[in-house]
Amino acid sequence: MFNRQPKQEKIIAEYVMQNKESFYRLAYSYVQNRDDALDIVQDSIQKAITAGTLKDIQAVKSWFYRIVVNTSLDFLRRRKKVTVLDDTTIQLHSPSHEDHYHDMDLEQALNSLPIQYRSVVVLRYFEDLKIEDVAEILELNINTAKTRLYKALKILRDQMNDLHLEEVRHNG
Amino acid sequence: MDNNKMKQLKEKYEDIPIPTELDEVVKKALQKRKSKNSGFKWVAGVAAAAVIFTSSINISPAFAKSLESIPVVGSIVDVLTFTEFTVDEGNYQADIKVPAIDKLENKELEQTLNEKYLMESQELYTKFMDEMKGQKAFGVDGHLRVDSGFVVKTDTDQLLTVGRYVQETAASSKTTIKYDTIDKENQLLVTLPSLFKDDSYIAVISENIIKQMKQQMKEDEAKSYFIASEEELGEGFTEINKEQNFYINAEHKLVVSFNDYEVAPGYMGTVEFVIPTDEIKDILVSNAYIK
Repeated sequence: MFNRQPKQEKIIAEYVMQNKESFYRLAYSYVQNRDDALDIVQDSIQKAITAGTLKDIQAVKSWFYRIVVNTSLDFLRRRKKVTVLDDTTIQLHSPSHEDHYHDMDLEQALNSLPIQYRSVVVLRYFEDLKIEDVAEILELNINTAKTRLYKALKILRDQMNDLHLEEVRHNG
Repeated sequence: MDNNKMKQLKEKYEDIPIPTELDEVVKKALQKRKSKNSGFKWVAGVAAAAVIFTSSINISPAFAKSLESIPVVGSIVDVLTFTEFTVDEGNYQADIKVPAIDKLENKELEQTLNEKYLMESQELYTKFMDEMKGQKAFGVDGHLRVDSGFVVKTDTDQLLTVGRYVQETAASSKTTIKYDTIDKENQLLVTLPSLFKDDSYIAVISENIIKQMKQQMKEDEAKSYFIASEEELGEGFTEINKEQNFYINAEHKLVVSFNDYEVAPGYMGTVEFVIPTDEIKDILVSNAYIK
């Protein structure tokens, strides 16, 4: 009685432990820094074990991904209100901050994608989820998810082409 | 977008380094439900604490920064930074600002509040130092951060509310905030029970808060509160404390405040509920503060 469904909680706990790295990377892909990503993982777990909105234990995967995505988006929304200026300042003052990325163009192209497009790309290609699962996680219908994915790829392709043209110009 | 490029991007994504703390953060978060109500488990030797405290005041350069006045425009009563304790040793950092009420005519009240502020700050500081020493003694590579300070939440001709916050960050972070509301005209400390005719306010306010929680969760999926339900006995919010944290805002509305994890998951932070005056007007002693 005290523990509503201990079995369900156990399944969630096991699932989270097994996939914690995926969740961390997913959160990181949104917030782009370690501490915030850790916070999001933590908050997502909190939310998951207290929410009790999981109806079907089979759906634990897309359910938990959805919580991570929503928590990240919520975080970005809140941060936007507070530190728009800060981000710019930090970037200006620490150009070497992201040194370890060798291919900044590609990285930038992805990061400059509007967030709803980035979500589909990350889930579909990096997390290797089926488009049906992506749609479920983002609470879209399948056709909308597909359209977003194509649109995202198109934007990326166009940006990459621009970048390549620039490279050619530089080299020539 | 050719496959090669996408593969490159994916490799980048997979190269996102996993911090060593992740495991601990996840485990702690999974356990949180059980230990939701447990606070800090430490007991400080009072005598030892006093020694540390006094010596650190004397050697702290932060003492020079003390008595940094926060001007409160248009009122006589002031809130000042009485003193500040700072620690900065690698991963261990503390910044504790102690407020002091000044120019209150009721000197007894002023002194009581100021002593309370100083004592609570001392305790916080001692707790921090103990925790730090404990971790260092065991060779634990810990992280600990305490930020404490105060905000003037309401300052009208009639009322002054000082909120003191403490943010403690170890593997996770926790914020608590406490309010004191002073009636400047009558030189009194306003308590929650003193506002109402009898104890019925506990039920009335609690009911309204639960209603607001449900409404907010319905309107915004990102919001989440712990509300006690029949199948989860002993869990979640049922009613406010008799001396629940509160303040009265400049619009003369009663605002009830909860700390991190008290009624909502950590990502919600500290939460506040403005109680519509209509709901409580029948049980208010008077409309002096709340309108």
